[in-house]
Amino acid sequence: MKKRGTILVENVIFIILNLLFLSVLVLFLVKQGSGAIVLEQTYSKQIAMVADSAKPVMLIKMDMEKGKKIAEENGIGFNEVVKIDGNTVTVKLTEKGGYSYAFFNDVEVSSYADKDEKGDYTGMYVFTINKKETQDE
Amino acid sequence: MNKIIKNKKFSIGDFFPKNQRGTDKILSMYWFVILALVAGGIFAMVYNFYGAPYDVREVESAIFAEKITDCISREGIIDSEFFVDGIFNTKISESFIDKCNFNFKVEDEYGNEDFQYFYEVEFYTPEDAANPQFSLNGGNINWKNDCFIKKEKNKEYNKLAKCTERRFYALNEGGKQYLIKILSVIGKSEKNVRQ
Repeated sequence: MKKRGTILVENVIFIILNLLFLSVLVLFLVKQGSGAIVLEQTYSKQIAMVADSAKPVMLIKMDMEKGKKIAEENGIGFNEVVKIDGNTVTVKLTEKGGYSYAFFNDVEVSSYADKDEKGDYTGMYVFTINKKETQDE
Repeated sequence: MNKIIKNKKFSIGDFFPKNQRGTDKILSMYWFVILALVAGGIFAMVYNFYGAPYDVREVESAIFAEKITDCISREGIIDSEFFVDGIFNTKISESFIDKCNFNFKVEDEYGNEDFQYFYEVEFYTPEDAANPQFSLNGGNINWKNDCFIKKEKNKEYNKLAKCTERRFYALNEGGKQYLIKILSVIGKSEKNVRQ
């Protein structure tokens, strides 16, 4: 006579709880890696390094798709994410946040969010590097 | 019936009876304790990793050295502004920052005089690589000493400035060979190291 297998309720709960634990852990890791604070710092330092190594006249495109998603979730327009004031880059993905980093290369850097033919943001940011115009000119 | 319950003495065995199902319950309880410990460890590690700022000073000092190199020589020939009548132009020290398009007055939080950058350029002849024929420097000289301290994997040592040293040979317009040593230093520990 064959014994029929039974599924114990305890075992099912145990497995569900384990899966729940693992998914919370994975979610936490993913969220930490792509959090606004981390991305603000990464982008501002990355842009500063690009500006430091650039020469006039250059046009540089940077993929900021992750930043676009976070900024939109926090109600910030993608075109307001990057601000370059003199030699300081500020990246802002949250209303209260923002991270600034300076570059030593004395060039004129301007930035704008790239748009496609329909006028939607592509997730790319464009940086133009030009010679700094002196005040006398 | 009530009397029986009242007089009953509870023991550990009542909560974890010594049969197969009881052992399973104890095991699962310990399993969750282990999971909680693992989760705690991972949370602590992740918090520690993402809580510390990204240290980009090594890259920054390498870019800085590269920029200085480009400013001094092109295709192996030293810029003519470095020489006047075949000898080194001492006035180049004053105009070097403008000539190379550097701006050190960029860190408002440190104040305009407390620069976070330092550079030193030394020109040697191949015959005498110990005594420089000409040298120039700029920025905050206080950072220079950090380059000569032996760095250990320690939190305090991480706060020291990051340095890049470059050496290359180049010719002047008369065809004379020089060994050029460049030292570039980046401070900025507040923005790159956890305080």
